Amino acid sequence: VARLCVCDLLVAQCDVNCCCDPDCSAEDFSLFTTCSVPVVTGDSQLCSQKAAVYSLDVEANPPERIFKLIDQVNPSIFCIHATNYEQALYLKSPEIPTPENFDQLLDKFGGATFSAEPDSWNLDTDAQNPPDANETSRYEYGVPVQTEDAFLRLPSPVVSSWCSDANPAGFLVNQATKCIRSVSVEKCDSIQALSMLFYINSSILASVFQVNITVQSIVVQSLNGMRTLLSSSDVLRLPMVLDELCINAVLGVNYHITHTDTGEIIEAAAAFVLGAISKEALSIEQSFEISFTQENTQPVPLSGNPGYVVGLPVRAGFQPQGYPFPAAFLFAALALSSNKHSQLTILHSTSTQDCLAAQGARAPVLFGYNMISGCKLRITAAMKCQPLAQTLLDVLKGQSFPEYVASFGNSQAQDVLDWVPITQLHISEQMISHTLQGSCQIPVSLGIEVKWTKYGSLVNPQARIVNVTATITTTTLKQV
Amino acid sequence: NNHSQLSSLPLQILLYVNGIYYIFYFLATLAMIIYKSQVFSYPDDLLAPDLAVLFLMAILEVPRLYLGFKGNLTEAEGPLGLSLGLTVGSVVLCVYLLLWQTYVLWADVLLNAVLLSAYGLESGLKVTAIAAFVS
Repeated sequence: VARLCVCDLLVAQCDVNCCCDPDCSAEDFSLFTTCSVPVVTGDSQLCSQKAAVYSLDVEANPPERIFKLIDQVNPSIFCIHATNYEQALYLKSPEIPTPENFDQLLDKFGGATFSAEPDSWNLDTDAQNPPDANETSRYEYGVPVQTEDAFLRLPSPVVSSWCSDANPAGFLVNQATKCIRSVSVEKCDSIQALSMLFYINSSILASVFQVNITVQSIVVQSLNGMRTLLSSSDVLRLPMVLDELCINAVLGVNYHITHTDTGEIIEAAAAFVLGAISKEALSIEQSFEISFTQENTQPVPLSGNPGYVVGLPVRAGFQPQGYPFPAAFLFAALALSSNKHSQLTILHSTSTQDCLAAQGARAPVLFGYNMISGCKLRITAAMKCQPLAQTLLDVLKGQSFPEYVASFGNSQAQDVLDWVPITQLHISEQMISHTLQGSCQIPVSLGIEVKWTKYGSLVNPQARIVNVTATITTTTLKQV
Repeated sequence: NNHSQLSSLPLQILLYVNGIYYIFYFLATLAMIIYKSQVFSYPDDLLAPDLAVLFLMAILEVPRLYLGFKGNLTEAEGPLGLSLGLTVGSVVLCVYLLLWQTYVLWADVLLNAVLLSAYGLESGLKVTAIAAFVS
């Protein structure tokens, strides 16, 4: 207790009015007015403990500091006489990492949270998930895909444009990279990264078994850039030197990984683009891509999994023609066509702000982003109202305004109940009855209101679209 | 006519007082354990043994006192001897609560010390009573 000093904040300097500061000399003490920290004790709940008492003797000339070490007694009958539990009253001083205990400390404190009693936590998780199966069976978003020797490599440019083979592919992270590799035609059969084997020889670790990477297709690109799809893709083509050219060099790899909805990888396929390298070329550009698809689903670009992610487009679709609406729920395999272009779109303002010129430009509605756009239309007397109204409706709504919006970012077209119908409303600006007769209404604004909610667990809520309303506001064209 | 009565009066008084004191002791110690678990950091794997010892002691106390009463009043050394044996067990548990509890408060020390001294005195009186009954 005699060595503890709470007010000693400055190192190697005397703190003002700090009577316990060891950096202060007798002259400094004589300048103090009071002691900011009069008593330093341990836990006051103990029955008897040592206390260091500091005080200033102002009577003496010059004033001097008095330091006393006394035994402080807690008179309460509930004072702690003894404890048999070391952590009872003390803040544990942290262990200094040494090479011996570093691993154990990293286990205990290396995560995002650490509990006071690590042993009981370990017992619980061991009972639920056997640790061996847990490591490689389930992948989470972003976790590197493990293979026999290391990780599934997706060469990508790091720092410069040169290919680095050490980039692991993250699970569910769809990536496309391009990088430059230095080559020489003489040694082209010995450069590993140009050979198909380099990309498919290691098998991916997934749950109990290993998934081999199969060759999905091989496309051969000639020197002038023409690509031909080979009919037989089971023959492994290795690079070799032929007529001062290096043929069968890998110019691009496209991995397609299929996984279950619990995160287990079940299939892996690679599509290659092989090409020829001429003698003068010192480097080639390789492109790599990896995409993840859930089994039994179509590879549609997802806007979230499952909840919508802010910034991704709102997915929308139509009911195919010819199916009566009540039957939609009877035939479960009814598909809603939802391709990339059938998104919910709004008018995209152009620089000229001319409505008629802006007919083609649409911007996808992004989830979570409020958007507003507009255009101007000059109406002359010669314009007929009815075609004008139809044109403006096309401008506002676009060529194919969808009927349904996906309620989750990963809603599949075959799950009809996962799609929310768009409610269409018409509002007329002038509701005065006597103007209704004879005058046609032209649409002036389209307002889309997307109502969404947070759905699911409190820890990880998912955004879900509940209701979509499209409101067309029309006004009367004043006849000149 | 005193020598026809072998039952020890001091022992009887002590047993009676011991019974009343034990009820107070049990409630006080239980209340203090509850107080300690709220005020201090008292993890469950240390709280359980302390509570177990307290309840075990309470369970032992009932036959111990009953046998003591019976043996003394009927002047039979059998029950009294059994009571003495149970007293040994109670003493061990009392020493645990005095020394090896997780938090030993000053009040704990007082209560347990009084109980230990009562046990000691009782044991002495029981031994003399058994000696008187046997001879």
